[in-house]
Amino acid sequence: MWRWLWTALLLAGIALAQDRTQVLVYGGDWTDLITLDPQVVYEFSGVMIADNMYETLVRFEGNDLATLRPGLAESWKVERGTTDWILTFNLRRGSRFSSGREVTAKDVVFSFERALERKGPGSFLFTDIAQLKPGATKALDPYTLEVRIPKSASPQSFLSILTFTIGGVVDSEEVQKNAKGGDLGKDWLTNNSAGSGPYRLVRWDRGNQVFLEANLHARVKPKIPRVVLRYIQEPAVLRTALESGEIDIAEGLTPEGLKAIAANPRFKVVRAETLRLQYLGMNMKAGSPFANAKLREAMRYAVNQDELIQGLLQGNAIKIQTFIPKGLLGYNPATSYKYDPERARKLLAEAGYPQGLEFELLVSTGICGGRVPCPDVAAKLQADMAKAGFRARIRAIANAEVLATYRAQNHQVVLAGWSPDFPDPDGNATPWADYGARSLAWRNSYNDEVAAKLARQAALEADPQKRKALYKVLTEKVLREGPYVVLYQPAQPIGLSAKVEGFLKNPMMSAPLWQVSKQP
Amino acid sequence: MVAYLVRRLFMVLFVGVGITFVTFVIAQVIPIDPVVAALGENAREEQIREFRERYGLDRPILVQYGIYLRRLLHLDLGRSLRTGCPVAEDLREFFPATLELSLAAFFVAVALGLPAGILAALRQNRLPDVLVRFFALLLGSTPVFFLAILLLDVFHRQLGLLPGPGRLDPYLIPPPRVTGLVTLDALLARDLAAFWDALHHLLLPAFVLGSASAALLARMTRAAMLEVLSQDYVRTARAKGLAEGQVVLRHALKNAALPILTLLGGLLGGLLSGAVLTETIFSWPGFGRYVTQSATSLDFPAVMGVTLLVGVVYSLLNLLVDLLYALLDPRIRYA
Repeated sequence: MWRWLWTALLLAGIALAQDRTQVLVYGGDWTDLITLDPQVVYEFSGVMIADNMYETLVRFEGNDLATLRPGLAESWKVERGTTDWILTFNLRRGSRFSSGREVTAKDVVFSFERALERKGPGSFLFTDIAQLKPGATKALDPYTLEVRIPKSASPQSFLSILTFTIGGVVDSEEVQKNAKGGDLGKDWLTNNSAGSGPYRLVRWDRGNQVFLEANLHARVKPKIPRVVLRYIQEPAVLRTALESGEIDIAEGLTPEGLKAIAANPRFKVVRAETLRLQYLGMNMKAGSPFANAKLREAMRYAVNQDELIQGLLQGNAIKIQTFIPKGLLGYNPATSYKYDPERARKLLAEAGYPQGLEFELLVSTGICGGRVPCPDVAAKLQADMAKAGFRARIRAIANAEVLATYRAQNHQVVLAGWSPDFPDPDGNATPWADYGARSLAWRNSYNDEVAAKLARQAALEADPQKRKALYKVLTEKVLREGPYVVLYQPAQPIGLSAKVEGFLKNPMMSAPLWQVSKQP
Repeated sequence: MVAYLVRRLFMVLFVGVGITFVTFVIAQVIPIDPVVAALGENAREEQIREFRERYGLDRPILVQYGIYLRRLLHLDLGRSLRTGCPVAEDLREFFPATLELSLAAFFVAVALGLPAGILAALRQNRLPDVLVRFFALLLGSTPVFFLAILLLDVFHRQLGLLPGPGRLDPYLIPPPRVTGLVTLDALLARDLAAFWDALHHLLLPAFVLGSASAALLARMTRAAMLEVLSQDYVRTARAKGLAEGQVVLRHALKNAALPILTLLGGLLGGLLSGAVLTETIFSWPGFGRYVTQSATSLDFPAVMGVTLLVGVVYSLLNLLVDLLYALLDPRIRYA
């Protein structure tokens, strides 16, 4: 009797263990998730999930954000028309939505028009950056698509934008079937899916978990058929859940938690690169001491990047001083400024401040890149700057208030972060260098026509080598003259069970979960 | 009685409108722009303008409040600035999880606190009383986050006896959502494995959340019982030769019940208004987390919706407690 019982229990255990390899449990703070509609989603977790459910015409692979690869389109060409750029895409045959229908050019037209109509937070990528107009996307036949954008827009930027979820292709028939009163499926697609990606959405229990299941008709088959994204906000609980085997991947562990995980052979740590930059913005408006170029230069010598990265961030960041992050075309590895308090003092004196300068450093009370509290970063900067003659008065306030003050140009120096809206150097160059774009350059009163012109020229340049050369000139100019001190480019370490293989998170925060496998 | 009930229900309505007004004024006084908070660092000027127009935030404040009240008459609480969903829909999504946890925690509080308080009063200054007072002090003063993380670490990670955070094992297929209470939904779907698992997932958070209430209840019950036990009618009951159980339950407890009942009403109200820390640590998708996120992102339609609901729940619970008074104490009559 007992022998039978034990055998039954053992078999049940084996069945359960086998079953566990068929489910991937990914824990993290997904509270920013508000929609899974590809044309609307703009939050980190939403983009990551939607990316697993929808395919785009072109895509990037892994950490390489400089080489476009075929997605739903097997080939494409860019031609110069008389007034427009003409982009022609040849669609791959046999890509199927989760409904079983084949993906055709008609669906792409519907998706692009839908993005323009829906006006989500990312729609400016289509309307402003690519200057895409309604009716400019046409299906020439079921497998050929033509898109026209004005000559003033950059076709390179547009192709990069197309890798983002806003370019995700939805099943037009399925969406129209579920649309209510001409809402283009707005409500339905928020928590349902109609894509051709490797996974489809089964269920989203808000604040609790998201269930994905393999799309049986997809061209790309996932290695693990079921994925559960479990909401766990508290880092200590995240670590407990990883260590107990309840979850396979933990995103959002503290530097201490990661250290402990890395020391345990049952786990490993994957370091995801990001495109985020943490920087200081100095307001150059008339009358501000920071309008003086010498003072800004002194500030660049007053920041101890190495200690900040190795100490506070425990190495979880890249040292960078120019404004195009590592991973994008045009990244400039120049680090011309070393921490030199003496030199900073000399420059301060030359700028007319022999007794040093007191200023207000505006800081968010929240978390900065690399999961370090912003006030801690500010305190480190304050200590290093003090040796160089800068007396920073830290004003730590709610992030929304920091943003409002910064946007109103009412700051002296601000500690802020920036991530490009799309994986293209222009996602940084225009905001950082073009005053007319009313973004970072405007907020810091950096009005330099040469820099703005260089940014515009580089955005429109089709030849990657020439473009790279233009960005080199621009990044060096802004590094020397601009209102920024770039502090670091944070990495995002993620803890995994040693049984998990093939996990990757790219700098745009997309994680191709269909490539992940799990050992018993 | 009916007239009294109608009058009290009108008061609930009045309280509700008052709450919306106060919250609305607070939203206007705070010097932070909710639109900037909602759209983040990369937002463009056009996006900010469009957002203001879409949510009517560009209109005069009184007009905004008038629109809010008019919608409220149709039970429309507006749209959340953060999630973009109707607030009423958000509340329907998050409230059941809090309801399930609160009821379980309330059960824990009553099941532990009430007998412990009675026992302590009956054995005043003896070992049971000392133990009850010690544990009441300990549980009442232990910070929730500490207790939660400690219990999770011991019972989940080290001993593996109880499940981790969340409402259900991630490897189980959850039952179809009917009520939003996973235990009830599992029973409705006749999925005993899910029911059992959901019950297990409730144990730790319900204990953590209920323990402080249990401590408070034990102390209150002890004090109320001590007062009643020294009354003449209890001595008379004992002198009549009534069994001790009957003396305690029928004569003493019934008379000590009024302050206990008042406390229970308040405790349940407090539990139902969301327990931020417990919900955060146990990844419980409830009300407390929703309101914290809404408040930190200055999502005022959501904050107003939550405050209104909590206010109405409190008012109704108070009404219920008042009605129960009349049942327990024949001297109380409502005209």
